[in-house]
Amino acid sequence: MTIAPGRETTTAAGVPDTRITPAASSRPGVLAALGPAGARPPIALLAAAIVAAAAAAIPLVYLLVRATESGLATIVETLSRGRVLEYAANSLGLAAATTVTALVLGTAVAFVLTRVRVPFARTWLLISALPLAVPSYLAGYGWLVAFPSLNGFVPSWLLLTAVTVPYVTLPVAAALRGASGDLEGVARTLGRGPLRAFLVATWPSVRPAAIAGSLLVALYALSDFGLVAMMRFPTLTWGINAAYSASFDRAQAATLALLLVVLALVVVVGERAARRQLPRAAARAVAPRSVGRGMLLAMLPVVAVAPLIGVGVPLLGLLSRLLEAATLREIDVPRLLEAVGSTVGVAVAAALLAVALALPIAALAARYRGRLVTAIESVGYLGHALPGIVVGLSLVFFALAVVPALYQSIVVLVFAYAVLFMPKAIGTMRAGLGDVPPRLVAVARTLGMSPLQAWWRVTVPLALPSVGIGALLVAIATMKELPATLLLRPTGVQTLATELWNRTVVFEFGAAAPYAALLVLVAAVPAVILSGVRSSAKEEL
Amino acid sequence: MSDLVVDGVSVTHGSTLAIDDVSLRIRSGELVAVLGPSGCGKTTLLLSIAGLLPVHAGSITIGDREISRPGRTVAPEKRGVGWVPQEASLFPHLSVGENIGFAVPRGRGARRRSGSFPSEVGEGAGAGHAAPASRAARIAELAQLVGLGDLTGRAPNQLSGGQAQRVALARALAPRPDLLLLDEPFAALDTQLRTGLRREVAELLRDQGTTSLLVTHDQEEALTLADRVAVLRDGHLEQFGTPEEIYQQPASDWVASFVGDVVELPGQWRGGRVLCALGSVEASAVGFTPADGETVRLMLRPEWIVPRPDLLAQAAAGADARVASISYAGHDAMITADLVDGPSVLLRMAAVELPEVGDDVRLAVQRPGLAFAAA
Repeated sequence: MTIAPGRETTTAAGVPDTRITPAASSRPGVLAALGPAGARPPIALLAAAIVAAAAAAIPLVYLLVRATESGLATIVETLSRGRVLEYAANSLGLAAATTVTALVLGTAVAFVLTRVRVPFARTWLLISALPLAVPSYLAGYGWLVAFPSLNGFVPSWLLLTAVTVPYVTLPVAAALRGASGDLEGVARTLGRGPLRAFLVATWPSVRPAAIAGSLLVALYALSDFGLVAMMRFPTLTWGINAAYSASFDRAQAATLALLLVVLALVVVVGERAARRQLPRAAARAVAPRSVGRGMLLAMLPVVAVAPLIGVGVPLLGLLSRLLEAATLREIDVPRLLEAVGSTVGVAVAAALLAVALALPIAALAARYRGRLVTAIESVGYLGHALPGIVVGLSLVFFALAVVPALYQSIVVLVFAYAVLFMPKAIGTMRAGLGDVPPRLVAVARTLGMSPLQAWWRVTVPLALPSVGIGALLVAIATMKELPATLLLRPTGVQTLATELWNRTVVFEFGAAAPYAALLVLVAAVPAVILSGVRSSAKEEL
Repeated sequence: MSDLVVDGVSVTHGSTLAIDDVSLRIRSGELVAVLGPSGCGKTTLLLSIAGLLPVHAGSITIGDREISRPGRTVAPEKRGVGWVPQEASLFPHLSVGENIGFAVPRGRGARRRSGSFPSEVGEGAGAGHAAPASRAARIAELAQLVGLGDLTGRAPNQLSGGQAQRVALARALAPRPDLLLLDEPFAALDTQLRTGLRREVAELLRDQGTTSLLVTHDQEEALTLADRVAVLRDGHLEQFGTPEEIYQQPASDWVASFVGDVVELPGQWRGGRVLCALGSVEASAVGFTPADGETVRLMLRPEWIVPRPDLLAQAAAGADARVASISYAGHDAMITADLVDGPSVLLRMAAVELPEVGDDVRLAVQRPGLAFAAA
């Protein structure tokens, strides 16, 4: 999930003597005229972006079509059934509890990491981001290996908190670092104590980040399927899967999915509103304070608890089970390799399709303004709000009704991934394309390049890293995706995630171990490396 | 001939008129500075000549080719107009050499080597250059020209500001443009570097015979470098002339005070002279015909006023003053002198033998002043 299209300004190392004196460096008015902002986008680009946005809208639109065609009476009747209310209450309760704990814990961790002089502070920040790389069901698997009797609300709540805390920690830490220390100092000189000064001067500029982060946690908790299903805690996602696969009650599945989408969209709208208030100013930050060793030790649990629960224990459980002689003896190597092959295969295909769909939208949004452009971009981001199980279900309906030849084919599966994870590609590529100065393109034009040549020789090479990172983010997310894969995978095709899932739900933890280990290797490890390479990327995994 | 003719050009940004009916004729090989305060529209004028902005009225012509008129803007790449932007704007993904060679077509050297094509006559022959043997040779030649011969392998972020501007200049010269536009290319450099580099660039452009238009807000830069200066204010052309004309015969009191220091004294017009606190000063009226006895504003440059000890004996000529303060600038000094019967005036003199504060001096005006209508 995307927190913010990371916009870093890279300062090249070793910039020598006479660079730019601030006085002469900015002339917004005239330079704005260089970029075609305000101008009309080329028709071909607009058309391509509309096609891509239309593709992204298919799951939601078709779900609406499907859910409403049974009539309002049926919807109301389905919604008022006892189980449905229970599912909804469970989803909301889990989301609310997880959001509160993640907000409190994440803010505390962020505060410690930015305001206290912690040894190895950068490493700790990386460690606190680690849970993002672990899919929730993998954490669930790791705990079940150790404690097979875990089930219900409490373990779901605690584990979800552990894996989602970084959604709060990272933006709040960034906001704390960006918040002006001068302001807090002024408040202190005006007679406020440390806590009052923090609340008065700093918290207002941190609050939007905290709220946006917590709403991402809520979205994650609402959308999660793998963990709650493993913990047999019946939420809406669980109910959708049950209604679809057990009873093939399609109308009920569609209604439940619609209800879930409505909840998710409410959360996403709130998150967008909160994010709009995020402050941009980078002022002189507060220097971290030194504290005594005893105090540091007391803070250690705060910082370590989420990585421990979300990553440490599960990996330990996984490793212990993997290294048992019985497990090693029974590894079905050809089957394992096949699963790796199909996982990587669909991930690459999904990355290519997502980048292809995202490129026109990103190019449009990076350079042009207007209501139509905003609408197209928002539709492109739809996948961000849609739970995987909803996209899976809707595309099942869509394939059966519109393109029956493609039902249960790899095409629909890859398309589902592309819709789900396109927002990651749009976010990074939009930032990358937007960072190419219009002036460089203008220089290329005066040097004899046509618009297309200038785009190819200047814009593309400069934006290429962001395209690569966008594709990698999509591929990593695809490899970890579970519910849509379960619903849409062609018969006989198994990914690492589905193999892990199939064995875990029947308590074959040993047989699941190799798949879990490989999933960590192919998905989690690249994610961690990527986050190390590009410090803001960890906010987008 | 490739004269640049800007004829009655207006350019709008949204609803505001950024350039209003500007006409300029720039002769082939000339270096013209467009001078004005920030926000006067000078960069807009440059961008519309480069084809990066459309014009809303008038036309722009190079030689006999019309390149801009309302509704028709020849694409920037088809104009033969080079552009050196303010902040160099080098392509960060290309080396210095590749930046310079950006507009030099590839493959020419390769074809030569294969020997299957008859060797072409270099495009540069007309400009008095030997045809470059290959792309690499052309890049090396340009790098040498701007004095960066050994830096072609560097990345742009390894250059200093001055070096980056040299690369931007070489890059713009590479396709042998008919016209080169320079947008405050020295503004981002520190003072010392700026003075040296701009003199060097002006010499280089004259050597190459390149017609150039230099945008600047720095009066000294415009006056020292340009053959002619166009003064722009709020989108209007205030004056277009040689640096001497601009400085000594400004077309308006705004131009007068924009391009240099002024001393302004009220006085009365008496048949080609102005009676004021400095005595009777010869003057020419600018923009109006005053009647005898009419109140006018006399405008002088500080260096036109000189202390004349030899006049001390003659009561009729000059005016008595006392030195009130001296602002010392090394090569010269600006002296504030209080006139005995009137206000104080500024005078600039070479810092060889300066008076001291409190000294009595007798001042005279050594060339005709300018009379403007009283406000």
